[in-house]
Amino acid sequence: MEVFISAVGFGVVTASLLAISAVGFTLQFSVTNVLNLAFGSVMTGSGFVAYGLNSSGMNIWLAMIIAALCGGVISVLMNTLLYGPFIRHGMTLFGMVIVTISTAVISDHIIEAAVGPSFFSYNAPAGKALHIADLLLTRQDLTIIGIAALVTLVTQLTLQRTRLGKSMRGLSVNASLARACGIPTRRVVTLAWFGSGVMAGLGGVALFLETSTFSATTGSDFLIVVIAAAVVGGIGSARGAVLGALVVGIVTEVGAAYWDPELKDVLAFAVLIVVLLVRPQGLFSQLSTERVVVG
Amino acid sequence: MSAATQYYVITILVYICANVIAAWGLDLQFGVTGVLNFAFIIFQSIGAYTAGVLSLGPASSSGGFETYIAGASLPFPLPIIGAMLAGAALAGVVGMITLRRLRSDYQAMVMLVVSVVATVVVTSKTGLFNGAAGLSLVANPMHGLAGLSRQTQSWVFVVFCFAVMLAVGTVMYAVVYSPHGRVLRAVRENEHALEALGRSATRHRLEVFVIGGALAALSGALLVEFIGAWAPSGWLYPETFVFFTAVIVGGRGSVAGVAIGAALIGVGIQQAVEYLPIGSDPTVLAAAEWIITGVITLVFLWARPQGLLPERRRRFSGRSEVVPR
Repeated sequence: MEVFISAVGFGVVTASLLAISAVGFTLQFSVTNVLNLAFGSVMTGSGFVAYGLNSSGMNIWLAMIIAALCGGVISVLMNTLLYGPFIRHGMTLFGMVIVTISTAVISDHIIEAAVGPSFFSYNAPAGKALHIADLLLTRQDLTIIGIAALVTLVTQLTLQRTRLGKSMRGLSVNASLARACGIPTRRVVTLAWFGSGVMAGLGGVALFLETSTFSATTGSDFLIVVIAAAVVGGIGSARGAVLGALVVGIVTEVGAAYWDPELKDVLAFAVLIVVLLVRPQGLFSQLSTERVVVG
Repeated sequence: MSAATQYYVITILVYICANVIAAWGLDLQFGVTGVLNFAFIIFQSIGAYTAGVLSLGPASSSGGFETYIAGASLPFPLPIIGAMLAGAALAGVVGMITLRRLRSDYQAMVMLVVSVVATVVVTSKTGLFNGAAGLSLVANPMHGLAGLSRQTQSWVFVVFCFAVMLAVGTVMYAVVYSPHGRVLRAVRENEHALEALGRSATRHRLEVFVIGGALAALSGALLVEFIGAWAPSGWLYPETFVFFTAVIVGGRGSVAGVAIGAALIGVGIQQAVEYLPIGSDPTVLAAAEWIITGVITLVFLWARPQGLLPERRRRFSGRSEVVPR
């Protein structure tokens, strides 16, 4: 039982990492229909911004906030300089997947050429370990769980309660109708990219804190699990992304405790395949039926 | 030619043949039919591993040096045929799971995931294909030819690879430019129209998935018999991207174009990077190779999406012939 409870504890931490990133990934996808495979590169890029600030003496949590803003800016630039022009050039949904994967390959290797093949770690003590019942969590773990809860809550409230959220949902259902109704499409899309980039930044730094060592490909490698979580939840749904993150996070950590730790990612993907066989659209799905990319 | 130059030329030629065959497999899926198979590299891999274990002999004969399943020492060319069957079978299973019910963007994501799963499983289960170290000491089948020097034997292998490539190319031409090829292109262009005509898009996607898987496996088998080794670090999921670039640069759906693209991208960039004035740091060189590949893809998608040698499109006369009754 103790093993089980502590595994669930680790599972919640993994789920928090996944939730921060999956909500960001899915938010941008639902608004623009662009499958941004360079999301992992934004995570890595922000993670290294935080590393630069942290190694020159800044507190890691402050560095995380600045890195998250940088992530937002990188993400907006990616859209305005690259994706947007490609979409207006007539690239289809299908072609955009190739554009984003090219971007991921280019940015990951620019980072690798800059930092080299070595592994890095932040100068951040994980804090005192706290026992809550049988759970053993560090202060760092609790902070990350808190960030995940906050990110999800803010996203959900923005989508449900604000004018911006309403415009985003409108855009995801029918972009041209939204534009005809006077929704400033460009601005909403840019804000979606910014929000998604901020979450990529937060997720990247949180991931690097939890894995304790990281390299130029850590973000993109993790992106595959993020995608699994987002797809399990039903891509495009913030609620679904959180649920998917919890399912994938807890199943992998419990599996790692009782089974082969090396194969824990395989479990995540087994969950994905089982869910997709039963419910091809994911657990929750607010997917637009429209298949047009919005730039 | 000196022995070293000859070896260099032989290596490049074998790589070109293998890359072209694999790129044709992907062209059939992505170029002609429009299936985004981001797990393509695992099919090349299963081919390499199968050909490896089928020619290495029982694992116990290596004296504990490597462990793998289903070791046998089948005579040439049975390991290659086995590899193609394994590639087709794996593609059948993956295709049945992913292609039947999922939307195409979900398919692309699930393929990425499948590619990573395959790497994790093969790396951590050392009993399968010797884990992270991979298979090694796979013998070149031509090295058994009596009365020939090692060099000549390697040239015989090059000739064999070219013959295989020509055979595959002939079949590609026959399929892609046949009425059946038009059905495949219809899956890419307008699957609803195709289904309205009573054809199943999913069945045709599955079909090219299996054939493409077999071709990828064939290329893997040729490579492993030449290099002699195969390990997970050589087939991480981004490797698939190189074949996508080859297809895009050559021209989606164009058989000759894709062959040129595969030779230029798969082999050309690697050779060209050596001459760039960026030092000799292996990390920087490898990164430069990837960055150049990515930039070339973007440039082609922007400026010449139809590729170097665009797909031949048959034009029918605008006036429809009315058959008198």
